[in-house]
Amino acid sequence: MKNKSILLIKTLLLSTSQMNICKHSTDKKKKRKAVISMVGFGILYLMIMFYGILYCMGFGKSGMSDSIPVMCAMIVAALAAILTFFKTNGYLFNFKEYDMLMSLPFSTKTVAACKFMYMYINSLPWYMIISVAMLIGYAVYEKPVVCVYPIWIVLSFFLPVIPMLLASLLGFVVAWIGSHFKKSNLIQAVLMFAVGILAFMLRYIIEAVVKNGEVQDALEQSKEAIDNAAGVFLPARWFSEAVTKLSVSGILLLTGVSSILFVIVFMIVGGSYRRINSALKSHAAKKDYKVSAQKKRSVLNAIAFKEFRRMTGSTTYLVQGGFGEVLITIFSIITLVMGFDRIVEMITSGAPVDPAILRPAIPFFIYFFLGMVSTCACSPSLEGKNYWIVQSLPIEKKTLYKGKMLFNMYLTVPFMVFATICFCVSAKVPLVETILDLLLGFALLAFSTCWGCVCGVRHMRLDWENEIEVVKQSAAVSVYLLPNMFVGMGVIAGVVYLGMYVDHKLLAGGFILLISLLAALSYKRVMSLAKRR
Amino acid sequence: MLKINNYSKTYGGGKKAADNVTLHVESGDIYGFIGHNGAGKSTTIRAVVGVLDFEEGEILIDGHSVKDEPMACKRVTAYIPDNPDLYENLTGIQYLNFVADVFDISAEDREKRIKKYADTFEITDALGDLISSYSHGMKQKVAIISALIHEPKLMVLDEPFVGLDPKATFQLKEIMHEMCEKGTAIFFSTHVLDVAEKLCNKVAIIKKGKIVASGTMEELTEGHSLEEAFLEAENEE
Repeated sequence: MKNKSILLIKTLLLSTSQMNICKHSTDKKKKRKAVISMVGFGILYLMIMFYGILYCMGFGKSGMSDSIPVMCAMIVAALAAILTFFKTNGYLFNFKEYDMLMSLPFSTKTVAACKFMYMYINSLPWYMIISVAMLIGYAVYEKPVVCVYPIWIVLSFFLPVIPMLLASLLGFVVAWIGSHFKKSNLIQAVLMFAVGILAFMLRYIIEAVVKNGEVQDALEQSKEAIDNAAGVFLPARWFSEAVTKLSVSGILLLTGVSSILFVIVFMIVGGSYRRINSALKSHAAKKDYKVSAQKKRSVLNAIAFKEFRRMTGSTTYLVQGGFGEVLITIFSIITLVMGFDRIVEMITSGAPVDPAILRPAIPFFIYFFLGMVSTCACSPSLEGKNYWIVQSLPIEKKTLYKGKMLFNMYLTVPFMVFATICFCVSAKVPLVETILDLLLGFALLAFSTCWGCVCGVRHMRLDWENEIEVVKQSAAVSVYLLPNMFVGMGVIAGVVYLGMYVDHKLLAGGFILLISLLAALSYKRVMSLAKRR
Repeated sequence: MLKINNYSKTYGGGKKAADNVTLHVESGDIYGFIGHNGAGKSTTIRAVVGVLDFEEGEILIDGHSVKDEPMACKRVTAYIPDNPDLYENLTGIQYLNFVADVFDISAEDREKRIKKYADTFEITDALGDLISSYSHGMKQKVAIISALIHEPKLMVLDEPFVGLDPKATFQLKEIMHEMCEKGTAIFFSTHVLDVAEKLCNKVAIIKKGKIVASGTMEELTEGHSLEEAFLEAENEE
């Protein structure tokens, strides 16, 4: 008899494998998309590997290569914890094929554990790429003995396990709490926001705790923070001791604790698994609805409102679509209360930076948070199997896309206006420049909306098993988000540099024209895609 | 084979989707479960197959409690949901093999059964294609074959005829008769009263979560049609 857990994991992997699509699909377009997706991910892995090696080079050149193992463990752990936490709803709970799986002779514990293992194996390439890249960097500078290589590689498989288990447990607690409420989606989203924001602020909290009041070199400070964190996060210390001192206890502790924790977590999760899923998959029902006056909307607003209901009905969508807005709102209020200069001082760790030179970057900084929203609202992919509804209605594709883009603007513009005003008031930006910043912020959001729609339509995927596949892992997200974020960071640096030589008003005016042009071109592209797709 | 005793399920918002439901399905029964939309049919069925958690009552399959011994119950049960969510990126044959593996069916038996039922439903040629390329009816056929593959003692079907073409509907009814003669108990929900009347030996009518009538077809109809009996039960407060 085959081991049922292995069978289930194998099937779960096969059911989302691009290779299986390539092998069995008779649809050439689908096959091509699968190949492009695999090549895209290959390139992305290579980029991350290259970046990882460069990062280690920086440490090596500064004579701090001995910290690379701890650094590797901390990066993998942080990545694993964040990715897992945001994936628990959708992967571990509330997934589409729940009924089918639960009706088969699998115990609830087996289903939960296999779903976790599936999530682990799926994200393992990311962690291994980082770990191998850092091993190369470490090897170049430390020239370790041969046995370090296999130990490092084998332990890399265990490195993400403990943070993933802890994040799953946290996700389980969030789901458990959510399942006790009528509006479980909303409660889960609020709790996920809270944990996400806490994780986002953690760096500053740790810094505030360990800071000794002296202005230090950034790398040295980073090294100190990492060493301090390793003192708290034991798996990083065990990993470091295993590869630097060949410590047997480090190896045994990392592998042993990972395995024991796995068993404990799934004993806890398995116990309430069915109850939580039953609650999350059921919907509150009222028996006393009375048809009263209904509101008429324009077609575009009707599509936008439908998108709003779609967002509030899904924890995954709500967290992805609302995280940037919540973060920037909190950031804006903190900036308004504490003052722009103080915030700059905190972020730059007390380095001698004149806050005034950062003012031209305010709209871009805000865009950095709000731009990430456009992967959901603008994309038709989230319609999934329901796409037939809008397809069968007497509306043109361009109207549908316009409605979705309109919703994205409704969702982001008010937050941009609020944040820009808060930042500009706090940074004492003159009125004319504030207005220009608002216009620039609007242009940036128009661009992100249209470009997000281009990516969403070009890489439309309706046959997903799980919303997470569209929201976090789709080709559209990779094509949109990664260049957008990297270019965004580059533009912020460029604007700060240019701001030292060019007048703020001129700079803002130039960017408004440039970004508006890009937005117009993207919009034109959406309209041309609407004619073809 | 299936005993539902005083089963109740309340959803958030206070709506009682199933209220003190009691019914017994014996081996060899084809038991129809009828009621209008939202009456509580799927809520009861999902609890029977171990998908939905419930607070009150007891459900026994082949003498085993669904709550306390879920694995023993699932091993002898097959479930076909009203809208089968199958793994879209598996081929039909990959999915059937997965289910056969889960039930530990030998290679010979699975080949024989897959061939038999796939030929019956005229889907053999498409088994090598991805499920995502199938129509709703084809997916339903794959779900039915996967349910038959381990020769269950209890078959639970939620609206099994929805989406099936007339020939497949006829074949499924034939298979249900065949299974019933072998001693399998069949419990299924349907809206199609004509089908229920011709197919079932026992029927239960559920209204607002409560069983308002149940028994053998003869007891329930008393010389009238099932449609008349159903409307009468529906109209009674």
